[in-house]
Amino acid sequence: MRAVLAVARKELTAAFTTPVAWAVLMVIAFFSAQFFNGALDAFRFLSLRALQLQNPGLLERLSLTERVVAPLFGSMGLLLVIVAPFLSMRLFAEEKRARTFELLLTAPVRPWQIVLGKYLAGLATLAAALLIVALFPLLLSFYATGTQGGAGVEWQTVGTGLLGLFLLGAMAMAVGMFVSALTESVIVAALVSLLFLLSLYVVTLFTIGMEGPVRELVLALSASDHLTSFLAGRIELKDVVYYLSFVVLGLYLTDRALEGTRWA
Amino acid sequence: MIEVENLTRRYRDLVAVEDLSFKVEKGEVVGFLGPNGAGKSTTMRILAGFLPATSGTVKVAGFDVFDEPLEVKRRIGYLPETPPVYPDLTPLEYLRFCAGLKGLPRPAVAGEIERVAELARLDGVMDRLTGSLSKGYRQRVGLAQALLGDPEVLILDEPTVGLDPLQIREVRELVKSLAGRHTVVLSTHILPEVAMTCQKVLVVNKGRLVDYDTLDGLIRKHLPGRTVTLDDIAFLEEIYSKLVEGPAAAAAALAGLGAAPGTAREVAP
Repeated sequence: MRAVLAVARKELTAAFTTPVAWAVLMVIAFFSAQFFNGALDAFRFLSLRALQLQNPGLLERLSLTERVVAPLFGSMGLLLVIVAPFLSMRLFAEEKRARTFELLLTAPVRPWQIVLGKYLAGLATLAAALLIVALFPLLLSFYATGTQGGAGVEWQTVGTGLLGLFLLGAMAMAVGMFVSALTESVIVAALVSLLFLLSLYVVTLFTIGMEGPVRELVLALSASDHLTSFLAGRIELKDVVYYLSFVVLGLYLTDRALEGTRWA
Repeated sequence: MIEVENLTRRYRDLVAVEDLSFKVEKGEVVGFLGPNGAGKSTTMRILAGFLPATSGTVKVAGFDVFDEPLEVKRRIGYLPETPPVYPDLTPLEYLRFCAGLKGLPRPAVAGEIERVAELARLDGVMDRLTGSLSKGYRQRVGLAQALLGDPEVLILDEPTVGLDPLQIREVRELVKSLAGRHTVVLSTHILPEVAMTCQKVLVVNKGRLVDYDTLDGLIRKHLPGRTVTLDDIAFLEEIYSKLVEGPAAAAAALAGLGAAPGTAREVAP
């Protein structure tokens, strides 16, 4: 465990000394603010329309969580998939390029300790990004109240949404780390994992007009489809299993990739 | 301390090391000599457990590098050809990281870092980013890393590259001071360095062992009848070019050696 933490700490120090992590956090902050504003505007427009229509029932059913937080988190899912490869690209490719890989592999540690240390550091950066996203529901809760009094933001739904985003990010990080372990080029690592993750995320586009088992299969494979119940406030086992299996597979394959260098 | 038997390493169709066998006793300082591409770095990488051997066995302190890598790695301090330093960390952060990797006992870490920093003369740069340091300092940070934890065996791949003459002398003194307690294998192109620091010299060419002997043994064998002192470096150059450049001389030396280098010293005149 000592070595795992040493690797994680080194990785975080390096990530926050170089501009990479900061740039990623900036991108997250900028776009989440834009998405938040957009969703808020849409909400305002909708509530004005409800007022004009003099339809108090509709007005009462308008939920900030559903109309603002969920769309924000939904957009952040796509954004996470896009930025995660840039957080994971350096994990191993950079070590190979800079020849520091030799240091790691000649240290008295097992490959899984290195893998786990790097992965934990990746998750910590990811958590920092999600913290920024979580600021917006918090901001909302200062100004909003529910129709029957009480909180204007449903915290459970916010919580499950964040959990879903975290799992999605964890999956992206594990996949990206594996790709990074296969190449010496940071750019290749980022692009290949981006291609893979983005395809999984937008594969739902192909289900338009599809029917039957093929549609079911494509939806089951989609990284975005598994996020929907989290955003609606539900934690479903199949979704958790989907993300975690990518995490486990990614970690396992990375470990194998490192172990493989001992044999080839 | 180090036993290498019939070591062969191939990269696809390129043979980097072929049928290399030698032994290094505890406390010896052995110099690896050979032209570029002779297989020095490859051999050292295999010794350190970074590369697997295609065939043959390597044992360090009685442990097989392939079967018990952790036991071997615990006993080795390794400085690769390119110093494995991170430009985004300061030497202090870097050495802390290495101490964690090597699993040094926590209370001892600060003292140990101070010790190796002094040995490698890192005072004054410990809090600067490694990326902004000169090549010589980066090399010394790498050296400090290898010394961390006081390992029994040190494998130093060209430890003096990028250093200025005075620093080279410091490293030479450092290596000399390690002899006896530590087993050191170092590679270099600089012949005076070998003459001054190493008790034994291992000459490789095109992946094969050409000769392995003490300095005195080499002189007796290859410059018979000449009296040379170790202060006189020219003799080593002569032996080296004889072994590496002259194919006839090398072939003759090899024929005289036979297969087992261990017996070579007795066989040779």
